Amino acid sequence: MNNVNLPSKQTGFLLLGTYLSFLNSRAFQNLIRALLATMGVLVVTFTLIHLIPGDPVEMLLGEAATEELVLEYRRILGLEGSLFDQFISYLSSVVHGDLGTSLLTRQSVNAVVARTLPLTAWLITVTIAMSLLMAIPLGILAAIYRGTWFDHAFRVFTSISLATPSFYSGLLLILFFAIQLKLAPVAGYNPGFPGNLYYLWLPALTMSGALVPILSRVLQSSIVDTMEQEFVETAIVRGLPKSVLVWRYLLRPSLAPTIGLLGYIIGQLLSATVVVEIVFNLPGMGTALVVEGVLLRDYPLVQGIILVFALIVVIVSFLSDMLCGWIDPRTKIS
Amino acid sequence: MKLSKIAFVKDLNHSTICGLAIVMMIVFLSIMVPLFSPYNPLVGVSEPLSAPSLSNFFGTDQLGRDVFTRTFASGRLDLMLALIGVAGPLFIGTLLGAILGTTRSSLVVWFWLMLIDAINAFPFIVLVIAIVAIMGPGVSGLLIGLTAVNWARYAKIARARALILRRSDFVEVTRVLGYSRIRVLVRHILPNVFSETIAYGLSDFVIVVLAVSALSFLGAGVRPPTAEWGAMMADGRVYLQTHWWITVFPGLALSLAAIGVALLAHGLVGRYAGEK
Repeated sequence: MNNVNLPSKQTGFLLLGTYLSFLNSRAFQNLIRALLATMGVLVVTFTLIHLIPGDPVEMLLGEAATEELVLEYRRILGLEGSLFDQFISYLSSVVHGDLGTSLLTRQSVNAVVARTLPLTAWLITVTIAMSLLMAIPLGILAAIYRGTWFDHAFRVFTSISLATPSFYSGLLLILFFAIQLKLAPVAGYNPGFPGNLYYLWLPALTMSGALVPILSRVLQSSIVDTMEQEFVETAIVRGLPKSVLVWRYLLRPSLAPTIGLLGYIIGQLLSATVVVEIVFNLPGMGTALVVEGVLLRDYPLVQGIILVFALIVVIVSFLSDMLCGWIDPRTKIS
Repeated sequence: MKLSKIAFVKDLNHSTICGLAIVMMIVFLSIMVPLFSPYNPLVGVSEPLSAPSLSNFFGTDQLGRDVFTRTFASGRLDLMLALIGVAGPLFIGTLLGAILGTTRSSLVVWFWLMLIDAINAFPFIVLVIAIVAIMGPGVSGLLIGLTAVNWARYAKIARARALILRRSDFVEVTRVLGYSRIRVLVRHILPNVFSETIAYGLSDFVIVVLAVSALSFLGAGVRPPTAEWGAMMADGRVYLQTHWWITVFPGLALSLAAIGVALLAHGLVGRYAGEK
């Protein structure tokens, strides 16, 4: 009777085996890497506040410093106790989902993120959708017509597009589409789908200017690699229709490198959102970072927002690594 | 000697020549225009907001300053800042990366690698803005921010290269010869690592020059009234609807500079990679 619930020796080994193979698996290694990166990110955001030359509280308060205010500022900035204590309490509040309190408004940083993140997420989503719509046909055409005038024009166009700063192309697009043609608002935002697309399409087009060149070039070179594979030759010999050939035989195996780049791309896009949100006066996370962080020196807000930015990159990189392995098992962890 | 020189000239491709021409033109104008221009880039003497004309090629801004003079005064500052912003991280990152690639103390390596990966996880501009927010806006804050963020990319490249070099035959030989680790690092590993990171530095120059002006555009870098491409465009933004020239010309100069350096980097690095 007593033995029934105990696992036998064999199942024990079996469990150990699954456990060991899990430790060896790609998923686990990716997870460990993501956790380490998160830890490192927390070290960086924590250290940031200690980089302030001199005493941050004195510098922020200046003449206005009273004993009460100094103590309150120390508490909000997390500067109580030894460095080790400070780090532990920072970690524990982040783990509990508390990003801190704004110095200026005494509002929780979580509330600021909750208010601004949806817009930034929308902007990135629309940008990715728009970029894919442009990059996939461009990449395919550039791969098929490699070495022709189209390829050269493609190279020149992508180089120019990559070297144009988004705040410049954004202003030019405003000048053309918003002021001359009146097809978009000059600035501002109104939440709610699909009405928000009217405010987002021009900023998204601006950001696509940097994304389409990267995406289409990666796609071009991986399609060129795929074209040399034997199964493509076989498909041509079998006389498959061109559409099937392009979509099933060329595009699908070539997507893995693009998805592998997703972490990098999100990093680039988040950098771009900061600038583009300011150009188009969109109240997203980037605007909060620049206006309240740099101009008003709200340190806890800066700390909280950049943590969210970095965590997004870490999570997306993790997911793209997993997805990559799932789509193309040949890819290995570097 | 003579033959190699000819081979070098023959090797120059279209990309390098175009890039070099654009970069040299901008550098030349950036040096000459502020020297010989009748206008002071910081003081307005002309009619404010006048359109491009023969006396003011690019028009004037809201304070009556000559946009042509200011655009090329910016060129000097921006290219200089970008040069410092690339050279600092390049040097620090390569040195650290090479040491990390050759050292045997795993705990130290583990700590630095975590830090490098963490810094690289942040979106570039976002972390620089955060550091500028902490340090205070201005040229020094901007350069500290750029250096503090950018070295990690160089360190990553340098370490990868140093790891390969450490296992190569000629480094094994130095060990047999009994050279000290410092001598091997300085004389044999570093020069080879530098050739790799400098190649990356060329293309990084484009990113940094765009970042410098983007940060100044956001008000987190060079402050007005100093002439700087991004700051000028932030100024002109208000007048975009009616007086486009204040914004369009500095942006054009910035894009041209970036395209020129990108072409140059593409041509030179391509040549370098082709040699291997």
